Amino acid sequence: MTTHANIPAGRYFEDVEVGEEIPQLVKSPVKHQQLVRYAGASGDFNPLHTDPKVGEAIGTGGIIAHGMLIMGFVGQMLSDYVGPASLRKFGVRFKGMTHLDDVITCTGTITEKYETDGQGYIAGKVQAKDQNGDLKVAGTFTAMLPYRNV
Amino acid sequence: MFDKDKIGHSFPAFSLTIERTKIHELALAIGDENPIYHDLAAARSAGYTDLPLPPTTPTIFTFWGNTQIWEQLTSVGINVMRVLHGEEEYEYVAPIAANDTLTGITTIVDGKSRRGKDGSSMDILTTETRYTNQHDQHVLSARTMFIVREAAAQGV
Repeated sequence: MTTHANIPAGRYFEDVEVGEEIPQLVKSPVKHQQLVRYAGASGDFNPLHTDPKVGEAIGTGGIIAHGMLIMGFVGQMLSDYVGPASLRKFGVRFKGMTHLDDVITCTGTITEKYETDGQGYIAGKVQAKDQNGDLKVAGTFTAMLPYRNV
Repeated sequence: MFDKDKIGHSFPAFSLTIERTKIHELALAIGDENPIYHDLAAARSAGYTDLPLPPTTPTIFTFWGNTQIWEQLTSVGINVMRVLHGEEEYEYVAPIAANDTLTGITTIVDGKSRRGKDGSSMDILTTETRYTNQHDQHVLSARTMFIVREAAAQGV
């Protein structure tokens, strides 16, 4: 089995406290071009994310962002915090639609810290809200962090 | 109504090689300028063997790795025009980097029908895709929960 023991990480286990806030990430307003870019990058070409006529026709008030883009913003916050290779689990529920020009802010809190089989883990809850405080995604994550002194 | 006999059904395996350009492209679309996702030298000097993957990269595996996903869901009676993405969860089991080749098998692991107070019904369906790498090592499991509504709602 490949271990994660030598992977790069953004934080040491000793330095994280339960209750600690993850540095928040405020994204630039969501733009049409970004959704077209995200469609191509992800391969999700559902036209309700890219075609304004479809967005109007189905009554969503114009095109809406891919839910996975908003999860991607939360992933960016976690990547900045612990590094992408430290993550063991990351899951979200999609709570609301994101429209053009919405400004998404991602936040999170550490809820747990524990050791199993000689490895240090942290767990936390994360969310993304728009400029009105409306919740877009809410979720949890677990990360394995290296020790400062081994 | 979801047919419970479909629980346990697996779709044909698919595979893809993770290209650096796709990692760069996804990070650009998200707006993540961390150089580890864009520049091999930066990734290596940060301690990665190759470009690492942004946490939501498995969405590329779903759509680019398995371009038949919507046809497959339709084939088991799911109205994909009425699908809402309810939840997404990844379990990162072992490291994955650019140039790895993954094979994924998607299985319907749960499904049920619910009836709302207004009499409309919805199906709640969960799929799990198990990914192995070129060394047959299990590296990732991705769980997706879909909500399929009878009324005129469409996907996130």
